[in-house]
Amino acid sequence: MKSVGKIFKEHTMQIVLVLVVIFFSITTSGSILTPANFNALIAQNAYVYVLATGMMMCMLIKGNIDLSVGAVVCFVDAIGAQLMVNKGVPILVAMLAMLGVGLLIGAFLGYLIAYVNVPPWIATLAGFLAFRGWGTAVLNGNTIGIGNADYAGFTNLFNGFVPDIFGVPGFNVTSLVIGIIACILLFVTQLRDRATKISKGYEADSLTSVLVRCVIISAVIILFTIKLAQNKGIPFVLIWVAVIALIYNFITSKTTLGRYFYVTGGNMEATRLSGIDTRKVLFFAYLNMQFLTVIAAWITMARLTAANPTAGLNFELDAISGCIVGGVSAYGGSGRVFGMIVGATLIGVINLGMSIMGIDANWQKIVKGLVLLAAVVFEILNNKDKTKV
Amino acid sequence: MEKSNISAALRKYTMPIALVLVLIFFSWRTNGAIILPQNINNLLSQNAYVFVLAVGMLLCILTGGNIDLAVGSVVCFSGAIGATILDKDINFWVAVLVMLIIGTLVGVWQGFWIAYVNVPPFIATLAGMYAFRGLSNVVLQGLAVSIDNKAFLNLFGGGADCYVPDILHGTNINMLCMAVGVIGVVIYVITFLFSRANIKKRGYETKPLAGELIKLVVISVVALWVTYKLASYKGIPTSLIWILLVVFIFGYITSKTRIGRYLYAVGGNKKAAQLSGVNVKNVYFFAYVCMGLMSGLAGILTIARATQSQPTFGTGYEMDAIGACFIGGASAYGGIGTVPGAIVGALLMGVINQGMSIMGMNANWQKVVKGAVLLIAIIFDVVSKKEKK
Repeated sequence: MKSVGKIFKEHTMQIVLVLVVIFFSITTSGSILTPANFNALIAQNAYVYVLATGMMMCMLIKGNIDLSVGAVVCFVDAIGAQLMVNKGVPILVAMLAMLGVGLLIGAFLGYLIAYVNVPPWIATLAGFLAFRGWGTAVLNGNTIGIGNADYAGFTNLFNGFVPDIFGVPGFNVTSLVIGIIACILLFVTQLRDRATKISKGYEADSLTSVLVRCVIISAVIILFTIKLAQNKGIPFVLIWVAVIALIYNFITSKTTLGRYFYVTGGNMEATRLSGIDTRKVLFFAYLNMQFLTVIAAWITMARLTAANPTAGLNFELDAISGCIVGGVSAYGGSGRVFGMIVGATLIGVINLGMSIMGIDANWQKIVKGLVLLAAVVFEILNNKDKTKV
Repeated sequence: MEKSNISAALRKYTMPIALVLVLIFFSWRTNGAIILPQNINNLLSQNAYVFVLAVGMLLCILTGGNIDLAVGSVVCFSGAIGATILDKDINFWVAVLVMLIIGTLVGVWQGFWIAYVNVPPFIATLAGMYAFRGLSNVVLQGLAVSIDNKAFLNLFGGGADCYVPDILHGTNINMLCMAVGVIGVVIYVITFLFSRANIKKRGYETKPLAGELIKLVVISVVALWVTYKLASYKGIPTSLIWILLVVFIFGYITSKTRIGRYLYAVGGNKKAAQLSGVNVKNVYFFAYVCMGLMSGLAGILTIARATQSQPTFGTGYEMDAIGACFIGGASAYGGIGTVPGAIVGALLMGVINQGMSIMGMNANWQKVVKGAVLLIAIIFDVVSKKEKK
């Protein structure tokens, strides 16, 4: 039987998220809860979820980070836009070229970090400088727009909405149906998980706590889908984010590879001595980071309908903050995809709320910095308690 | 025997040799423009902030490869406050004092979290990078504040008259500058001879005389050459005085004092230092407080040089400082690095910056080159250490 205090401690960030939403609902007199703003929350922060997923994989290993992601978003976008617009390359080929460039960068940085032993933050700091400059040079300092219909195939891939096949005016029923299906799947998988655990003799949460959790999460999903349905439906970008989150949740929690990340982060030397090639794990983390960076670059370019020299500015900070706020340890070894999602959402809500309140962008920067610091301090103090007991 | 000595010397003095080669390269590419007296003068005045910040950063790096990503923002923040005060017709010393205090307080704030709460340095300073950039914007309200306090500008290397007046009234050439240069070299030679005699007297091993003499002669010749160049322009720029002051104070602290040895000890082996009774936390705290103070001073030099303060000042300064340290041979893992090394690194960065500017190279490509130089320096460091093992 869990005590109430323990539940509070385990779900602090979720509770903080609810409190923050309530706070902004009051200060913006409810306008943060309008359907359009639900959509904006997703559309504006999609890149944070994607990048934070990759960043989490890096951070799991000894708290390593990648400072270059924002600059690489800029660089990859620049190449993509040049190819699509000025060279007339087909969209799919351009996208693949972007992916290729991103993976090359990832392999290069990963090689330096894993095999040459360059400290991650220096290698990626060099990348941060070089790719921002290189990206700007590729663009000649200009913005290349992809707003016209020729590139709609690309932009719709991310900016579009799931079409409504039921045809109810003003309410996208398809979205709601997708939401309901998601909830059903949630219940089924959670209950099955519990059943397997019990049958294999592991300790499992009580049935009520699993049900309560499922009901709460389902309620949130339904609320979200209803709000989105009232706007224009589920944006495609949400599907990208959801698929990425599910895949990485699966990798980190169910596969051997995923376990390697945690054990390497927990104790690198012991992991190496037990026969796991920790260098490969490190290499893969940075390769994977750039893979996700390319997806973030597609999302960013589609949302801006342009590539410009300032694209991706400070993305690395958002991704790192999302992870830290979401309970990923700054020392490595612990962190979960769903925690990270909550963290990134919290950052997104704070950004959106402050924007709606019309708070000056400079104060937003200050608040962001303080939130990051507070989250780390909180995590460290929290863990200190644990080790003492 | 002879041969291995030469290769050992080459390895030891790679960076000074690289500096000479880079200088020759740019002299050739710019038809000698880079070694005009005026450009030698600019090299020192324009990069004054790099020297000052690199020295501060070195202290942080020594304690274990820790860095401070916030320095650029702190430079901007202290500069913003200083310019606002200077704008109010108050004695400029008040502004100077306030800026130094602000820098130090920032150092105390960040040092507290890093040293006593165990927040990883890159996260604490990343938060600072955001927050102080935002705060400077708030202070300046997004506008530039110009500075017309002549006494302030003259003293900190800004405006047209920021040179030590020639009290010896030389014609064509600044006699005071020459005199100071010659006296400096004489003092250097005398202290060298004394310390060598001292080492011998106490029975320590002395380095071979020939090598030491060559070093002595080379440094003296370079110092006299720079003096001559400066004297044929307008004399000693006041910013050089501040650079020398910082270099001497911290050169002394790192090589002759107990706290200086602690910096190396903690960086070399934290656990061993702790077990031998060094208060590791205080050492971290000391490093970040010094870094803060240096950021304050760099803020002063920056706004004086630009004769104004802008919300974008200091962007990328952390990179210059970190780059200078690594190029100057500081280890990214801590425990290794010297103030003279950092100065050579800063000079190399400065020469590359200035050479590229004189050649009229695009600013974006300059960023790419800088990133590449940083990466090469660090790879060189990591690989050469590996060979040693």
